[in-house]
Amino acid sequence: MIVTDTQIQHHTSAAITSPEADLIATLGPMGRRQKLWLACFAAVCAWGLIAFIHQLRIGLAATAMNNYFSWGVYIINFVFFIGISHAGTLVSAILRVTGAEWRRPITRMAEGITVFALMIGVPMIVIDMGRPDRILNVIIHGRLQSPILWDVCSVTTYITGSLMYLYLPMIPDLAMLRDHPVGFSPWRRKLYRTLALGWTGTPEQKHRLERAIGAMAIVIIPVAISVHTVVSWIFGMTLRAGWHSTIFGPYFVVGAIFSGIAALITAMAIFVWYFRPYHLERYITLDHFKKLASLLLAVNLIYIYFTVSEYLTMGYPSEGPDRRLLDSLFSGQYAWQFWTMAIIGLFIPALLLALPWTRTFKGILIASVLINVGMWLKRYVIVVPTLASPFMPIYSTTGKPLSYIPTWVEWSITAGAFSGFCMLYLLFSKVFPIVSIWEIEEGQHDKQPRPIATSPARPGIGRRAGIALSVLIAAACLLLISGRARASQVSASQPAATQPVAKVSLAVVTEDHEKLIRATVTALDGKPVENASVQFFVCRTFGDLKLGEDKTLDDGTAAVRFPTGLPGGASGELQFCAKLVAPASYAGVYATITDAGGALVKPVADPFPRALWAPHAPLPLLIVICTLLGGVWITYAFVISQIIAIYKGTKS
Amino acid sequence: MDGNRRTFLRRSLVVLGSVAAGGTAAHKLLGQGTPENKVDPNAPVTPSLTPDHQVVHVCCGKVVPNPGHDGQVAGMAETSARQGIPGRKFVMVIDLSKCDGCGKCMAACSKMHFIPPDRQWIKVLRMQDAEHTAPYFFPQPCYHCDNPPCTKVCPVDATFKRQDGIVLIDNDRCIGCRFCMAACPYGARSFNWARPHDPPEALEEGYPPEHGFPRRVGTVEKCDFCPDMAEKGLLPGCAAGCPMGAIYYGDENEDAITNSQGDMQRLSKLLLDRSGYRHLEELGTKPRVYYLPPANRQFPAPGAVSPESKI
Repeated sequence: MIVTDTQIQHHTSAAITSPEADLIATLGPMGRRQKLWLACFAAVCAWGLIAFIHQLRIGLAATAMNNYFSWGVYIINFVFFIGISHAGTLVSAILRVTGAEWRRPITRMAEGITVFALMIGVPMIVIDMGRPDRILNVIIHGRLQSPILWDVCSVTTYITGSLMYLYLPMIPDLAMLRDHPVGFSPWRRKLYRTLALGWTGTPEQKHRLERAIGAMAIVIIPVAISVHTVVSWIFGMTLRAGWHSTIFGPYFVVGAIFSGIAALITAMAIFVWYFRPYHLERYITLDHFKKLASLLLAVNLIYIYFTVSEYLTMGYPSEGPDRRLLDSLFSGQYAWQFWTMAIIGLFIPALLLALPWTRTFKGILIASVLINVGMWLKRYVIVVPTLASPFMPIYSTTGKPLSYIPTWVEWSITAGAFSGFCMLYLLFSKVFPIVSIWEIEEGQHDKQPRPIATSPARPGIGRRAGIALSVLIAAACLLLISGRARASQVSASQPAATQPVAKVSLAVVTEDHEKLIRATVTALDGKPVENASVQFFVCRTFGDLKLGEDKTLDDGTAAVRFPTGLPGGASGELQFCAKLVAPASYAGVYATITDAGGALVKPVADPFPRALWAPHAPLPLLIVICTLLGGVWITYAFVISQIIAIYKGTKS
Repeated sequence: MDGNRRTFLRRSLVVLGSVAAGGTAAHKLLGQGTPENKVDPNAPVTPSLTPDHQVVHVCCGKVVPNPGHDGQVAGMAETSARQGIPGRKFVMVIDLSKCDGCGKCMAACSKMHFIPPDRQWIKVLRMQDAEHTAPYFFPQPCYHCDNPPCTKVCPVDATFKRQDGIVLIDNDRCIGCRFCMAACPYGARSFNWARPHDPPEALEEGYPPEHGFPRRVGTVEKCDFCPDMAEKGLLPGCAAGCPMGAIYYGDENEDAITNSQGDMQRLSKLLLDRSGYRHLEELGTKPRVYYLPPANRQFPAPGAVSPESKI
């Protein structure tokens, strides 16, 4: 265990009251100002809901999306919210695992952002769907080959994990609130009592909680990384200029951490201001802002590096579609959005964070807000211009430049989403302490930095059990592999014969080692007809394929070579047809014969093999997904077992 | 510590057991076990007509009305629409030297499938590969790729590839995520953004994926290679409607294709003699539509236009 940060943040010594009193006071009744803010958010959220109902009524035609711009602001919002959700996990978990002491007052806030950003971001996908009523099809008919299913799996895992990760460190605080002498309203008392799980702070309970938090802090890091990687793969797995990029996974993850830290700094500033009667600044100090600013600057520079790397690699070789995309970004239709993003989202923040005289509270806050705006624009620049430059035109246009300007419905739903996020977050902060009380007190009491980490045995068990689970599932899958085929025959129709004045008979013969199709034409009296033109065909589904034409000899026969290599039916049978075309009096007389001399078309052994395009996923993919998910969920099971043990321990 | 580990292991076993039980439910999701293989021989059967006009005997217990169709019988029909016609590999060859850009293929297709005016299942693009090369007309249907990027990404198996090579969409299952539209590099797919206004004659017939109407709001549609026509030995609307005979259609397994003028050709010979190629071969999608280059064309070249601009 490497302790990276041994420097303990000393909180303002001028604090007269205890953190407990200060922070519990934030849960008191709301003032007028606070109520007004909440009402505003609720109103905008309701307006967004009305817009969504309107969209449900008339379909996605309510949006500006069309067959060119098949995705729009909903997908941009989804990526944005999933991005800021990384504030919680990656900041809080990494700081916890490395034992950074200064994390204590900000982890709760960060974990809250994760949960609420996910609660708003995930419905964005449902709002974007053409048929939200069929959402259950994703479970009923789900195909694990689709990156959307990867997203469903990893986002579900992420939401579950981040809820547990928010809840676990809150248990001691909930017990403190339960035991607080100041009267809360009855529903709150009940809520705190239930959620506190009978926590009394016995050494055994503390030990279990510490292990559970440690396990969660470790497992949530790969889960968070996987979520944004998989989101990027929704774009990266397509054959589209600007999306089909190998660095999209890490690029999106860094972008998510970048916007996540900026969102966290913004939230910290807002909460210090919102709760200013309760002196939150005693716990969230300038030092916290500065430490996070260093982290933000580092990620900012990495993000600039990724951006330059991405566009330079695309622009230098200048493949056709890439070139068109870059032209529209650098100097064309999307130059305005692109350069705004680059300047206010990347370069100005980097300067503000790097220069010592702008690294003040104000400078850091401005940089964070700019980064949040810039990162929303960045997602716009990723989604929209690529859709505007496909390989092939989607439909004929009138020559006007294509454009996507979101409608009032899309903006209303977007505004509603952001308001909903703020509303949920503020409500949370009024019901639960937004700063972790016990962790601060613990930090004040402990002189030594306390490394909090799980014992290495836990993930080991998780992995072993995960492998066992995936082996079970893989074995089940293997048992289920079966082939099937159902045959159906289509018979070719034949025109009705007219009154025959001559007769044609067909035969397949071998003359001079050559296989021939021979037609014999005889008049009605049985005499062979000479010099009649006969055309030979082979019957195919969509018509007759001509093999050749021949004139009859004095014995009434005409012949063509038997076609080589022409595929026949199931057993190689070919149906031949001979038609008389001249003299005119005989025209239309025909005869058919079936011969098994055609080439055999090898039947496809399994028309539906396990493949990415087929209904059933390739086994390696299944095994990987099941192993990864199994490992994480077994760790979750361990954490839940610890929670149950805490609860049971108090009962007995 | 040890006690804890043992307790944990014991509990994980319980969890594993319940997961295994859940696995039975996941059976459908993961495996290939189709319930229709295990029909009780004593169960009562009823004759039923499949979309490929065959009488099959369906176990009565399996005939369930699909809530998506009004009173239509699903089950067997859906299976056959998904399986395709065994032994067939439908294929199209477009002779660019014959296309004069009249657009009658688009009109015939739109009429046959009641396509609203804001989209086309087959498009005729005016192409020019480079500044000094000859412009030409380029009819473009769905390519029904053998490695279809759209089908790969579908989360619910709503778009699927059949054994006869045709890629279809089940609009009763599509959730409207539009991932397939983003994934298709040829822009072959359109979306029903608004509630559709199909004419009464489109509404008369029930919905099979084989002809894609009546339309469903919030679902994706595209060229279907007319499997309902091929079933009867008839050419697709576009091929039949092309006055120049530029569009050939047929069965690769028969090595024969034909056009509206009855010009029946051996597929292999035509591709060999006329240097057939597939558009954007480097994408690896393996299209089932081939092109014959616009050499020795039978009409004057279209006027010079900017590259890949549209009619």
